[in-house]
Amino acid sequence: MTALRPTALRPTTQRPAAPRPLPVPDRDSAPFWAAAARHVLTVARCSRCRSYAVPPGQTCPHCHSTEPGFAFEPVSGHGTVRSWTVLRQSFLPGFDADLPFTLVDVELAEQAGLRLIGRLLDGPEAPLRLGAPVRAAFEDVAPGVSVPAFVLASAG
Amino acid sequence: MSGRFAARNKTAIAGYAHSPVRRHAPRPLGALAVDTARQAIADAGLEPGQVDGIVTGALFPTAGSHAVEDGISTVTADWMAEHLGTDPRYVAGFQGIGQIPGAVALAVNAIASGAADHVLMYRALHNPPGRYHANPLREVGGQQQWTAPQGFFGPLAMIALPYNEYLQRYGATRDAMAAVSVEARKNGARIPWSYWYKQPLTAREYLAAPTIADPVRRYDCDIPVDGVAAFVLTSAERARDLPHRPVYVTGYASGVPATRRLPLHWPLDDIMSGGAATARRLWEHAGLGPGEVDLPQVYDGFSPFVWFWLEALGLCPAGEAHRFVADGRIDSDSPGGLPVLSGGGALGNGRMHGVPQMLECYLQLSGRAGPRQRERAAVAVACHSSPHYGGAVAYSSENFLAAAGGALRTHQKGPACGTSHTPAMLVCRGQAGRGRRAVRRAEPG
Repeated sequence: MTALRPTALRPTTQRPAAPRPLPVPDRDSAPFWAAAARHVLTVARCSRCRSYAVPPGQTCPHCHSTEPGFAFEPVSGHGTVRSWTVLRQSFLPGFDADLPFTLVDVELAEQAGLRLIGRLLDGPEAPLRLGAPVRAAFEDVAPGVSVPAFVLASAG
Repeated sequence: MSGRFAARNKTAIAGYAHSPVRRHAPRPLGALAVDTARQAIADAGLEPGQVDGIVTGALFPTAGSHAVEDGISTVTADWMAEHLGTDPRYVAGFQGIGQIPGAVALAVNAIASGAADHVLMYRALHNPPGRYHANPLREVGGQQQWTAPQGFFGPLAMIALPYNEYLQRYGATRDAMAAVSVEARKNGARIPWSYWYKQPLTAREYLAAPTIADPVRRYDCDIPVDGVAAFVLTSAERARDLPHRPVYVTGYASGVPATRRLPLHWPLDDIMSGGAATARRLWEHAGLGPGEVDLPQVYDGFSPFVWFWLEALGLCPAGEAHRFVADGRIDSDSPGGLPVLSGGGALGNGRMHGVPQMLECYLQLSGRAGPRQRERAAVAVACHSSPHYGGAVAYSSENFLAAAGGALRTHQKGPACGTSHTPAMLVCRGQAGRGRRAVRRAEPG
């Protein structure tokens, strides 16, 4: 997986004063964010039926167990683009210096219909098409906090 | 078809009122809502004390950081009950998305069950100061931790993703959407209470407007407003003794979220498979098919919903709504056009949610649309929100079951219906409608 550090791509003086919203890990999500900090993408997996779930919750969306025992397990990070948008305004703080930026709707290779949304770090002019292969990347947004994103992968 | 809805055409809309639609109303939303409610009750020929049911859907549909304050940014049914000064027997709010069909269903069920005789159903919408969806979020937990740190936030990105998915899948162009916004604004410009009264939009203006989230342009979005609409519903029998011609509730259906997704992640396949299920439930409930609907008022809070609803309802085949609208097939002024936005929709009125769709059904079917009155308006459908999360209500100007029984009076007011329709006539008219429109139609299942 690739680490793209925004501060390495843009002079820090252009960064806005307001930071991006940071995740507040809870008891359930803490392993996900701990893995993300190590640049490892994980997805919650049901201990009963072994299906992946995005997002996890009180029940498994596949076997409907009320005790799914979700555990975040590493995934390949490989997926394909199902849709995308280029945002020209952000309604959240901390993204203005990155505008315009692309969000991609990615179906992960691990399971049909398993979809994540993240920033595509190749820039707003990156050539995109349905089915374009991508792989996970990470943005280091604060000390010890990295947020999953994607980059275009070579086909095949 | 008789439909499986036991209360089919047994309840009716008896009156309405609509406040002016403004960017910011000069008065608090609650007071505006109470005034509008009282006007609707008077319009129905009733006294406030006779209204013994109050229902609404009170969601404040913003991603912004605005405080939700009852009577200021929303008006719940409890708030209305307290301030209207009556003694209702039934007060309830719809919690889900698709507030208008949801609240109409509450009203219909209350009347049909005898929980209330006359129900006030209203929707109050508020535009707070500042940017509508802007949120100075610094830390995010709960469900939004999976999306906001990643930059995915708010309804623009929500709709942009399935919209682009549609464009890419079907080889459509976003310029084809101009016909939707132009049609909505054309009709909204004719409605005196609309925010866009006398302000139609040209295709050129549409195309020149800035892009907010590719492929969504400015005029693909309804404008946030302050506004209130109120309706009074009662039983079909009681409605016939009231001043206006009743508009009967023939059936309703609400979407049911079927697939767990990230917050605001609405993939095209979810919208269309959920929408097909919503439409199937509606047709089964109402005993109707898409070819029998004179006035399918589709939802348009974001313009791509028009394409999605056209296909979900079976008014055009999957993947062809973009051609359908670009070919002028939704031009409500054209003899062969399908009037799907004749009430102006949310794009042509302001962010009144599904109110413009419901109101257009009521005004046309009751014969109260004034200079906008359409010749053919006997069966209508009002849609709200996304086909998979929202819902739709079918209305009839005639109580078909009662007419078949021959026992009940038919109203002769209004231009839409000079003779009473029987179910057989309904079928014939529906078939004629199919031929007249030559609409190619996907199977609604």
